[in-house]
Amino acid sequence: MGSNSAMEQTIDKIIKKSEKQVVSDLNDAGLNFKQNLDDSITKLESEYDKILSDGKKEADKIEKQIVGGSDIEARNKQLLALEAAVDRVFTTALEQITNTDRNSDYSNLINSLLQESTKILGTTEVKVYTNAKDKNVVQSSLSSFSGSKLSSEIIDCIGGVKIESKDGAMKFDNTIDAKIERLKPLIRKEIASKFGVKE
Amino acid sequence: MTTKGGVQYSKIAEIKGPLVVVDDVENAAFDELVEIETTEGERRLGKVLEVGNGKAIVQVFEGTTGLSISGTSAKFVGKVMEMPVSKEVLGRVFDGLGRPKDGLPDPIADKFIDINGEPMNPEQREYPKDFIQTGVSVIDGLITLVRGQKLPIFSGSGMSHNLLAAQIARQASVVGTNDDFAVVFAAIGVQYSEAEYFRRSLEESGALKRSVLFLNTADDPAIERIITPRVALTVAEYLAFELGMHVLVILTDMTNYAEALREISAAREEVPGRKGYPGYLYTDLSTIYERAGKLNGRKGSVTQIPILSMPSDDITHPIPDLTGYITEGQIVVGRDLFRQGVYPPINILMSLSRLMKDGIGEGSTREDHAEVANQVYDAYSRAQEVRALAGIVGKAGLTEIDLKYMDVGEVFEKEFLTQATDENRTIEETLAILWKIVSKLPKNEITKIKDKYVDQYYQGK
Repeated sequence: MGSNSAMEQTIDKIIKKSEKQVVSDLNDAGLNFKQNLDDSITKLESEYDKILSDGKKEADKIEKQIVGGSDIEARNKQLLALEAAVDRVFTTALEQITNTDRNSDYSNLINSLLQESTKILGTTEVKVYTNAKDKNVVQSSLSSFSGSKLSSEIIDCIGGVKIESKDGAMKFDNTIDAKIERLKPLIRKEIASKFGVKE
Repeated sequence: MTTKGGVQYSKIAEIKGPLVVVDDVENAAFDELVEIETTEGERRLGKVLEVGNGKAIVQVFEGTTGLSISGTSAKFVGKVMEMPVSKEVLGRVFDGLGRPKDGLPDPIADKFIDINGEPMNPEQREYPKDFIQTGVSVIDGLITLVRGQKLPIFSGSGMSHNLLAAQIARQASVVGTNDDFAVVFAAIGVQYSEAEYFRRSLEESGALKRSVLFLNTADDPAIERIITPRVALTVAEYLAFELGMHVLVILTDMTNYAEALREISAAREEVPGRKGYPGYLYTDLSTIYERAGKLNGRKGSVTQIPILSMPSDDITHPIPDLTGYITEGQIVVGRDLFRQGVYPPINILMSLSRLMKDGIGEGSTREDHAEVANQVYDAYSRAQEVRALAGIVGKAGLTEIDLKYMDVGEVFEKEFLTQATDENRTIEETLAILWKIVSKLPKNEITKIKDKYVDQYYQGK
């Protein structure tokens, strides 16, 4: 019996000691755990902020891509539509010019075109080319330009004249087509403004 | 300019390289635009380089291949080369001569502007001092770009300067203001794949909306390259000074431009200067670079980043050498870093932004920016010395502080310098990394930063 109670006492001691150790370990672990938790909260918060800011950046990037792409697409469609409209205006205007009566006003126009062209080449001794429709008007105007000659060769144009120096070294295209071509960018701007396109 | 524009001359005396000599010409003017017409009716553009004794020397932009003396005629248009401009050019893609390359019609012009530009009155120039954020840490943090500055990138063949150029074009912005920002991108003599990359890169990022692209590819005639930077700058000046936008112009590759200039000079039989480049290379380059700036009383600005690849990585080559005299600093792309796989491989020790000091600090970036940048610059320079020493004595022979500097060098290259091509860092993020690098050093090694900033931002123990 005596030896049993001594053993029990020893076991109790050991149990108490172990219990103390376990409690102390648990306390330490608890403290460690708390410390780790506290540390990780800051880390977590900064990770959280980073994820949010990365996400926001990515969202901004995607928004920029979508908005930018669709803006460009819409603008391009508008440009093509506008160009088609401008072309239609041009075609109609050219048709009207082609069908203009060759009256006295037109004769004055041919005269001024001839004057302008000979002045630019610096001589009236020139060969003049025109289309079939304007041949008579040009022929009658040429009398006031000494040394000028109407070529039998017919050119394809809406109206106006093309002149060439006698030796063929200098040429000046003063047809209505060439004039329109020279002024086309300005005319396009004017037409576009009629469609409500602002500068 | 001549009043007799539009006369077509058919006496071609000589065709030599990119030049056509026209005989019996009267009243032509220097720089006048010329339309060359072939027997097949094909039209090419050119400009008058010289006039006198009844002759005119015309430089044909699209080259003279296929032209013959008989049957070719030259029409002197009566005006200099002009670029049609309007706000509508934003989002458009043009070729090297300013003609649409995106399948869309010519822009409806608000104005037609002489591509040679008008010199800026020096008296009217305003000192550049506002920060441009590129989103690339090494540029924003250590070689800061300011509005109105001209800051070239010196690179070498095969290196990643074009990736960097595209990244800057996509990401660049002005911070702290609602002013409009635009990018004018001129690719000069680049490969087709590179041109496509630039176009796609801007298109897919949505940045094309605020950009204008001029693409002159390597298979386009070399002479066109003379015009490309000029049309790009004409558009930039219009956007900046007429529409009040802040415009960043990226010109890549200026070496191709200088080579086109050399080709013309050789064809004109001019006395060659260094490496065969004309003696007026400096003057010619300045007519491009000096088109950057800000003007008093005008809202906008033109900032330039010309990119040039140095033949054989030689920084003393005439092109980078003369460029360096005109521009306000340089960004040098380093071969060693490139070989290590670092992107962007910028060698900061050889790079400098002369106007950085005025574009950073309180009100622009942050009050500690200049000091932390200086400290990192100093530390990285020391890291390089330590690396060289370690190469001789080995790591074991280094002191504890030397090892810390080596660590700084590594962190600098891996975390600050290295950046993904689609990573857009804010200036705050850039400064945070700079502080992380500084924090690798013990406090007593931090000699270039005021204590109050150290107390506020230092993260070391």
